[in-house]
Amino acid sequence: MSADEELVETTVGSDLDADGIAALLGEAVLDREEHLNAPGFVIRPDAVQEVLTKLRDEAGFDHLSCVTAQQYTDRYESIYHLTSYDDRQREVSVVVPTDPERPVSQSAEPVFRTADWHEREAYDLVGIEYEGHPDLRRILLPQTWQGHPLSLEYHQDKPQIVTLDAHKNPLEADHRGNSETMFLNIGPHHPATHGVLHLKAVLDGEQVADVEPDIGYLHRCEEQMCQAGTYRHQIMPYPDRWDYISAGLLNEWAYARAAEDLADLEVPEYAQVIRTMSAELCRIASHLLAMGTFALDVNGDFTAAFMYAITDRERVQDILEDLTGQRMMFNYFRLGGVAWDLPEPREEFFGKIRDFLDHLPGAAEEYHNLITRNEVFQLRCVDTGYLSPEVAKSYGCTGAVARASGIDYDLRRDDPYGYYDELDWEVITEDGCDNYARLLVRMREVEQSARIIEQCVDLLEDWPEDDREIQSNVPRTLKPDEDAEIYRAVEGAKGELGIYIRSDGTDKPARFKIRSPCFSNLQALPAIAEGEYIPDLIAALGSLDIVLGEVDR
Amino acid sequence: MTPTFTPLQNDAVLLPERLVDLLGLGEFGVAGEVVAAFLGAFLVANLMMAMTGVAGPWAKRKITAAFTDRIAVNRVGPFGLLIIVADAVRLLSKELIIPDGVDRPAWDLAPILIASTALLGFAVIPMGSGIHLADPEVGLVFVFAVASMTSVGLVMAGYASNNKYSFLGGMRAVAQNLAYEIPLIVVAVSVVIFAGTLQMSEIVAAQAEPLLVIAGVTIPAWYAFVNPFAFVLFVAANMMEIGRNPFDTPEAPTEIVAGYQTEYSSVYFVLVFLGEFLHIFLGGAIIATLFLGGPAGPVLPGIVWFLIKIWAVFLFTQWLRSALPRFRIDQLIEVGWKGLLVLSFANLILTAIIVGVIA
Amino acid sequence: MSSDNPRDAIVESTAPLTDTRDARMGAGADDRFNSPLREAFGTQPFILTKFDKFMNWVRGSSMFLLQFGIACCSIEMMHTFGVKHDVDRFGAGVPRASPRQADCIIVPGTIVSKFAPRMKRVYDQMPEPKFVVGMGSCTISGGPFQEGYNVVKGAEEVIPVDIHVPGCPPRPEALVYGIAKLQERVANGESSPVVVKPYELEQFGDLDRDELVEKLADEIDEETLVMRYNWADSP
Repeated sequence: MSADEELVETTVGSDLDADGIAALLGEAVLDREEHLNAPGFVIRPDAVQEVLTKLRDEAGFDHLSCVTAQQYTDRYESIYHLTSYDDRQREVSVVVPTDPERPVSQSAEPVFRTADWHEREAYDLVGIEYEGHPDLRRILLPQTWQGHPLSLEYHQDKPQIVTLDAHKNPLEADHRGNSETMFLNIGPHHPATHGVLHLKAVLDGEQVADVEPDIGYLHRCEEQMCQAGTYRHQIMPYPDRWDYISAGLLNEWAYARAAEDLADLEVPEYAQVIRTMSAELCRIASHLLAMGTFALDVNGDFTAAFMYAITDRERVQDILEDLTGQRMMFNYFRLGGVAWDLPEPREEFFGKIRDFLDHLPGAAEEYHNLITRNEVFQLRCVDTGYLSPEVAKSYGCTGAVARASGIDYDLRRDDPYGYYDELDWEVITEDGCDNYARLLVRMREVEQSARIIEQCVDLLEDWPEDDREIQSNVPRTLKPDEDAEIYRAVEGAKGELGIYIRSDGTDKPARFKIRSPCFSNLQALPAIAEGEYIPDLIAALGSLDIVLGEVDR
Repeated sequence: MTPTFTPLQNDAVLLPERLVDLLGLGEFGVAGEVVAAFLGAFLVANLMMAMTGVAGPWAKRKITAAFTDRIAVNRVGPFGLLIIVADAVRLLSKELIIPDGVDRPAWDLAPILIASTALLGFAVIPMGSGIHLADPEVGLVFVFAVASMTSVGLVMAGYASNNKYSFLGGMRAVAQNLAYEIPLIVVAVSVVIFAGTLQMSEIVAAQAEPLLVIAGVTIPAWYAFVNPFAFVLFVAANMMEIGRNPFDTPEAPTEIVAGYQTEYSSVYFVLVFLGEFLHIFLGGAIIATLFLGGPAGPVLPGIVWFLIKIWAVFLFTQWLRSALPRFRIDQLIEVGWKGLLVLSFANLILTAIIVGVIA
Repeated sequence: MSSDNPRDAIVESTAPLTDTRDARMGAGADDRFNSPLREAFGTQPFILTKFDKFMNWVRGSSMFLLQFGIACCSIEMMHTFGVKHDVDRFGAGVPRASPRQADCIIVPGTIVSKFAPRMKRVYDQMPEPKFVVGMGSCTISGGPFQEGYNVVKGAEEVIPVDIHVPGCPPRPEALVYGIAKLQERVANGESSPVVVKPYELEQFGDLDRDELVEKLADEIDEETLVMRYNWADSP
């Protein structure tokens, strides 16, 4: 976080303002829009690649954070939310309108690899087609699905009728041929897929020749659910269920941040400190499970490390239960603050947190002894599952995955929110780029989170009693301005968790889009795992720390 | 005993002969001996299977639980011991699923082969207190031969299951066994050089002399003390041979589901499970015989010491299972061919020189 | 049973149904229920009832669970296996990765259209007798996601469920209670209905077709057999 680092990292074109960008893009721009987070440029549907290439190479926007697709009554629209790994606060939205009768626009896949899945999702749920996309198939819904559920003309009650033939066997019939390779379905029910992920792997002996993740086995229509709820109360329970590994508060914060910026709500400082503290507790819980399940993948079941991690998680969950009343699905944040103050007696609660923080260094030492310092473990994980920084950027990897590839990118510092910029902590990076580095980053981040919590507890203990405002004044029915658009992200447990909301003047969002970090991180799996052995494929998957609830939403 | 076997040099009498005397079967001639031999085999096999029964459903859970601060089964009977009955009967009473496309005779034979070969190995192990079924001059070779037969069973199971995970497991089992049989036997040969015989009872007898006396405590000349280097090598190679952590690649849950046993249910699964545990115990028995003085030990009868020793080995496997990561298959083979094999030959040459100089 | 009006049918109390069953079979659980041996061997089978009892005890005392995670609930399921709650105390703490070796499947999470056929397949791969614990609201009704276009409204649309554990997600204690309750039920002989396997159906292939079957068989064309994704409204 030093100042000279930021000076060095100034890249080409980073001084361009909105007009400068408009000049750079020239006649591709049809119109200008103003989103709440960034300037928007409406461009021609056939100039997507040209515009994105220019923005990436000449203006320094090297991070395609999200692709949002939506349908208006008169047009379809894809929005490319671009930002920069070096300076997260520089943002630009590239808006691509398409014809309502024939929604075809150019694919961004050749420029940003991450656009591959994002555009497939847009095709699947909204129905926009992308020209030049290498593999435009449905991604979340079954291939035989009829209609695009987030488009305006979709009728949910209409039965989905598919002939039996089209669905006789969900698996491919016979993969035997004259080839030297073997096709292997890993999942959707497999002990190492951390849920219901399906990997279509092609093996050459024990080596992975090709692997294709097949997702959508947990597509629970989260975006539709959020679009059907009111801002004030009905949306907040759903974020808990995206990244369900006890990272609920981090997800809630993503929604809270976007909605608060959209409706221009203030959050009292006291509530921000509570938010920061509880969110970091969630991060610890999440990273502990990531570590435990990774040990499970590498050590095999019955490993002691997994059980110890669960025991420590249990302690975090106890604290969070005291605070929020639930073990996993907290529903504790409110727009403009938090639901209620810390539990009484406060000393006991603080004591509990401090006990845990005191216990943590010893526990971390034990984990290092059991896991990272073990020679066999190092043999297994060092230099396997290599993900180079360039590839990681192209796939839009964020969070611990990116930081383990040496990309110094953490939204808590780069796009400050909450109380993080007032506290003393460090962003952890490793240069290993391998499975080992990804695990190590998580384990070291737990220590940083503990630091943050400790400072927050200190602050909260000394907080004057008459200034404990937990929620600001929020109108009973929240109706943001019509056609206000915002894309805001926070550092979730797995990386950049972004929310795009478009308001239509009612008390429900017109479009609610979730940018899930796992979705982008998982996309990099083929790049990581190709040429590795099966056990390393499993380890790579474990080290990516995906959670299917967030991948499929 | 069949007359091809030379009589023992020491006073120990084999179990079938004792049974002949005990039950007065001598007057029936060869038929009596055959009955006694079967009876002896029956007793030993039952002892071993009873141990497996205790180990598989109960002890394994309790030991793993102890490593992870848990309690494990405690509701069914005292200390949860009746879980042994419950688990065994339940598994046997389940539906036997025969998947479409399995290679029938091989698929059926594999579990039987896995379990029976492991059981066969105990025939030549001297267990103390006179429990010793047969004592051929080539006992050591016999026990390694039948122990490695298990890998044939694993390949059959993997290949015949018509399941790609099983297939991968079977292939891994072959690769692993090839890489570890050789170091295992080469290390065992160093013991043979010390003892000068392949006969199990002789190897045990050779370890009976005192090695040295420290402060009044006599340390016997167990080969684990005489040649600790060989002992460590042998234990490592044995772990790979029996396929436990960190070398459990053929089964490797979380990688290839359950490896070669993925498709087995009910009785066949019980047999595979039984075979696995018998194999651990057989590995323990070989270690005990070659390096830990067989049934030797103070105060308690020999069979008790013998059981303590093989349970110690079992405990060791469970300890590693809780603590150690699993090797990748290529690393495992590398360790086998490039590491263990070289070290085991070094050990062999060293032993040969030492024995040559002293003798 | 048709689920044309699935929600309306359960509004009224189930007491009349229970009363009817009690009147017919005596109050409480009947441990002679569901005993094929009894049917085969007549009316005074002291030994066989004891044997049945023993088998029920065996099946209720020990269960291998399928290592099966779907969604949020699977995290709490891990905690159930963990140190504090330790479901292994009840003899149900051995997770098997292969369905062939499992007795009981805990369905921990939301089932969506793409996954429903796969879950059915996993269930079909398990050997009889097999039991299902539905964990969480999603396996009861679709839970908070019930209104979603892609969500199957409860596990029972796909596989038969023995015990429902409500909650979102249920606490580990609740799951332990659910498993203990299942074991109690099994030990009392109230096991789940046995699913007829395709190969068992084939054994009836030799039977003469009656008029109705003939008529239906003529009418049905494989092309028109349909698969629906919105499971709640399917006939």
